[in-house]
Amino acid sequence: MSDRSSIRIVRSSAKTVAAQTSRLLLLGVNHTTAPISVRERLAIPTHRLADATRTLADQPGIREALILSTCNRVEILTVQDGLDGGPEADRDTFHSGPQAPALSVIRFLNEYLQIRATDIEPHVYEFREREAIRHLFRVASSLDSMVVGEPQILGQVKQSWTVGREVGAVKSTLDPLLQRAFSVAKKVRTETQIGNTTVSVASVAAELARKIFGSLEGKTVLLVGAGKMSDLTARHLIQQGATMLLVSNRTESRAQAIADALRTPSITTGVIPLDQLHQQTHRADIIITSTGAGQVFTPENARALLQRRKNRPVFFIDIAVPRDVAPAVNKLEGCFVYDIDDLQQVAIQNKAVRNREAEAAESIVTREVARYSDRISQAPVTESIKELLLGAEALRQQEIARINQQLSRQPLTPEQLAAVERLTKSLTGKLLHPQIAALREMAADSESDD
Amino acid sequence: MTLLWLRLAVILYGIAALAVLPAALYNRPRWRHIALPAAFTGAFFHFVSIAETLYAAHRALPVDTHETLSMLGLLLIVGFLILAARYRTVSFGIFLLPIAVLLAIVPAFDPGHEKIVYPLVRTGWIMLHIALLLAAYAAMFLSLIASLLYLIQERRLKQKRMESKRGWLPPLETLDQIGLNALRFGLPCMTAGLLIGSVLALQTIGLSFFADPKVLLSFAMWIAYILMIFIRSRSGLRGRRAVYLSSFVFLVMIAVWAANSLSAVHRFKTP
Repeated sequence: MSDRSSIRIVRSSAKTVAAQTSRLLLLGVNHTTAPISVRERLAIPTHRLADATRTLADQPGIREALILSTCNRVEILTVQDGLDGGPEADRDTFHSGPQAPALSVIRFLNEYLQIRATDIEPHVYEFREREAIRHLFRVASSLDSMVVGEPQILGQVKQSWTVGREVGAVKSTLDPLLQRAFSVAKKVRTETQIGNTTVSVASVAAELARKIFGSLEGKTVLLVGAGKMSDLTARHLIQQGATMLLVSNRTESRAQAIADALRTPSITTGVIPLDQLHQQTHRADIIITSTGAGQVFTPENARALLQRRKNRPVFFIDIAVPRDVAPAVNKLEGCFVYDIDDLQQVAIQNKAVRNREAEAAESIVTREVARYSDRISQAPVTESIKELLLGAEALRQQEIARINQQLSRQPLTPEQLAAVERLTKSLTGKLLHPQIAALREMAADSESDD
Repeated sequence: MTLLWLRLAVILYGIAALAVLPAALYNRPRWRHIALPAAFTGAFFHFVSIAETLYAAHRALPVDTHETLSMLGLLLIVGFLILAARYRTVSFGIFLLPIAVLLAIVPAFDPGHEKIVYPLVRTGWIMLHIALLLAAYAAMFLSLIASLLYLIQERRLKQKRMESKRGWLPPLETLDQIGLNALRFGLPCMTAGLLIGSVLALQTIGLSFFADPKVLLSFAMWIAYILMIFIRSRSGLRGRRAVYLSSFVFLVMIAVWAANSLSAVHRFKTP
């Protein structure tokens, strides 16, 4: 291989490195940057996601595309042709006047959602390359969510990825990137406690119920009194597997209405007249009380309740103020009483745990971003090195064949042939070494410039 | 070789006992992936060691004190692995694994030299007698640990300490089920074990066997065991009182075990 051809490969590889390491663009709005009035204009419902992704991917200059649309964020991730990297690459082009890459996305927003760039400009964030990768990893790992650690976001990213693949908008660049994002998210969940705590009062109550009863399958929930919070808590418990719901309220028609509202084919509901409450309470494993009438449950009737239940545990969730359950009930073996303050306290503790764990999760993301960026920045160089080596090998084989032909009257012995093979391989390796080293160096320089 | 396998098992149990602490106390799943395979592999080597010993001695079950302790250790590890598989909890390992290490460490590093002179030692019935009673002891021990864990979990819930990092205990109802199921498993084992032992004793020693303190204590233990299951099933006894009851039966069980030294007829070895 001539020096000229290897220099050509090195030069073209350098260009490839520069071009390929600067082609990822992420534009978006989320709950911290945009009010709901802006987010709802940008939101793309699930049934339109495939069509929107296809339209976006069809925009000139866009090679691959992904749209993530949830109630808290709308993000557009694209891989574009001819994005020029260099020192300006990480600058925010959206706000300093749209440039070519952002223009394709703006055109899409304009055509598909009839939104002008000026309408959303103050709310949009823009990330490129490494920062886009970091943002994607953070989003998938639920570090950028309103409730840090909530599990739904990963499912939503996966849904967008599935849609993107189905419509052919997620290909060779975004596909491995997203798969990496999923594995980072999994790593964050398994190596930290970020998703192991609940932070809303209703979900804390459901978590506590699980600590007492294990599975809530087949458990009965009794709702005493009506209220938004008790309704929400009951719904959480039903989601966790509770199969029977009893309602007791001063107004029986209201109790019936609540029971009807919560009834599903898998949930049996019933109404208990308030005057028969203490005769029927033993049927319930979890009692959510919110009458505010004060001392509905005293130690005496709790003792009677336990006796009827053969000491099986009972969980009181008292969200009334003043409290419906006397604090002394919690002292009885088998009775567990949590009032609204207790539940809120647990929620606060859990939030603190999540914040602590979020720091550990951020370190994981930083490490993974560096690893992934290194890998993609090395990929084109590896290809070029492979090309260089293949070219040199072909040339070497060609020369050996020529020599063999010239010596056809006095062919080389196998030992001589082996010695020639060794010699030529060693020479090729030594001659190519500076070029390969230069390529690796260029890739490293390009990475540090980014 | 036998000792080598047993020593290897002890080392693996030790690793499992250490790994189970972060796995259970700090809810770190990675440590669980060390604790469970280590305990499983340890149990395998332990089994190989016991099998080799017994094969060499031409009998099928342990009869000397060291072998019996080692066998009990293996049964506890098997119990731990069953609970881990069935209830997805390694919390029991905090107690069971160190105890298994203690039970196996003596035979592993200071093997017994007792010679068994009992003529029936190689019969199938005596083997069954020992196996069933060891299983009953292990079940009782599991039940006691379940009751203790129930008490700890109950206190945590009542004191409203819910830090998730320490959320290592299984739910109360699961602990209750484990405790009761262990007892329900242990009862038929103990009943059958004692019956077989009694019939064998009648045949070989005669009625004088039933005046022996060890034998009398064994029947007292059986009655206490039945009473405990009855009370727990009928009144749904849980928490502190269940722990008291289990502890009482466990003490009786220890007394039965220790009564070998008082027994004139239940001694089958030469020093």
